[in-house]
Amino acid sequence: MSSFKRDNKEEDDGGNPWQNLEKTSVLQETRMFNETPVNARKCTHILTKILYLLNQGEVLGTREATECFFAMTKLFQSKDVVMRRMVYLGIKELSPIADDVIIVTSSLTKDMTGKEDLYRAPAIRALCSITDSTMLQAVERYMKQCIVDRNAPVSSGALVSSLHLASTAGEVVKRWANEAQEALNSDNIMVQYHGLGLLYHIRKADRLAVTKLVNKLTRQHLRSPYATCFLIRIACKIMEEEDASGNATEESPLFNFVECCLRNKSEMVVYEAAHAVVNLKRTNPRELSTAVSILQLFCGSSKATLRFAAVRTMNKVAMLHPPAVNACNLDLEGLIADSNRSVATLAITTLLKTGAESSVER
Amino acid sequence: MDSLMEPTLYTIKGMCILDNDGNRILAKYYDKNVFPTVKEQRAYEKNLFNKTHRTDAEIIMLDGLTCVYKSNVDLFFYVMGSTHENELILLSVLNCLYDTITMILKKNVEKRAVLENLDIVMLAFDEICDGGIILDADPSSVMKRVDLRNDDIPIGEQTVAQVLQSAKEQLKWSLLK
Repeated sequence: MSSFKRDNKEEDDGGNPWQNLEKTSVLQETRMFNETPVNARKCTHILTKILYLLNQGEVLGTREATECFFAMTKLFQSKDVVMRRMVYLGIKELSPIADDVIIVTSSLTKDMTGKEDLYRAPAIRALCSITDSTMLQAVERYMKQCIVDRNAPVSSGALVSSLHLASTAGEVVKRWANEAQEALNSDNIMVQYHGLGLLYHIRKADRLAVTKLVNKLTRQHLRSPYATCFLIRIACKIMEEEDASGNATEESPLFNFVECCLRNKSEMVVYEAAHAVVNLKRTNPRELSTAVSILQLFCGSSKATLRFAAVRTMNKVAMLHPPAVNACNLDLEGLIADSNRSVATLAITTLLKTGAESSVER
Repeated sequence: MDSLMEPTLYTIKGMCILDNDGNRILAKYYDKNVFPTVKEQRAYEKNLFNKTHRTDAEIIMLDGLTCVYKSNVDLFFYVMGSTHENELILLSVLNCLYDTITMILKKNVEKRAVLENLDIVMLAFDEICDGGIILDADPSSVMKRVDLRNDDIPIGEQTVAQVLQSAKEQLKWSLLK
């Protein structure tokens, strides 16, 4: 607690305006939502209070939540952007608790298909939080349009929502593969990532289709580092399955792709690839040493997270192929006194697996 | 083995901001299997805070989660993921969260400023991660969609500024009509 006089005074008269909120009185305040014209500033404040209470772990009963939800629907009259966005958040938070939440479907569909881009993306995400598989068919046409929309947040919002819906309405979402495929060609790195995620989810039961998809993508360059990391994971899964069924070929184009990613310009991708190479059963000693030398390089990074990632992976290598890590013993010894305790611990346990008597002295 | 795990976009298990007593300012958990109750969440946050508040070590493994973190004055920012997750991806999300909030608060990253702009901070959470999937990790693009206020007020003049703000709004409405 700060001892400054000014701060204490602020504390008393509401320096933390959210402290000591009372659920019942906040819910009373939602009556304000019925007033016309809507006072956007005050209503936003009340919405924030409700969301804060929920976030702090306050539990609303079904009736309370439903009343609050219905009061909130009145706010669609106003066009204040911040308030509208807070209403979407409120819808998402209350939809699992309140009854009859489908009442806002038409308002949200209107926002989602409207002109205002700032409304569209979050409206899609809110809509999908109240939609079930039967209702989804009614909005299917709009969803497809949004997935291929030129506005990146709209497209991403629709793709991510589709993925959430896939667990409850898998059959409907399966029909959107063509749109997801188109999103994959987007210039936007997040849209590409989400597109790949959805497409993989739709196709994953069909091994041939996945293999085809991956073979095609490994030949073209994906702009998105996130999508590339995801692709590496799919490629590894296919390779492991091939190995398990004994269909492995000596020269796998998929493995070449993963190895190629070791030279990617994004650190995230390089690490993902190195991690993949050391974990694959098919990796031969030469390939392993390339990956390990990259991890060795990361050990000297100024970023604690990168050192952590490297030494954690080395720890795993040391379990499978201790000799491969021997070359890095010196680097690992340097990490024993690392400022990050997790890094230091991992370095020590790795050394215990690889170290020889000669290094104990040091 | 991680390599046999089903590839998924559900990367983020949770994100939170704690104050310098380890109390929750804002927290979101995205996986129902990870800390299903608020009590468990709070216990984890306390534990996390105790282990991290004195050191500026950036990353920790705790209770089966990998957690990257960052602190500033009296605030602690955390992003959590599974231990099999690529740590650099988690870090990119943390950096996005931190940078976005820094921009929202106009470099004044402290508890009071976060509380005063809580609505915008909530929107930022929502724009960075949707149900565990990274929605956007570019702070300037998140910022564009989140900071929709049209005020440029120096903090400390809130009351005067609020009056000005409502005047501005009224003027805008009368012009729009």
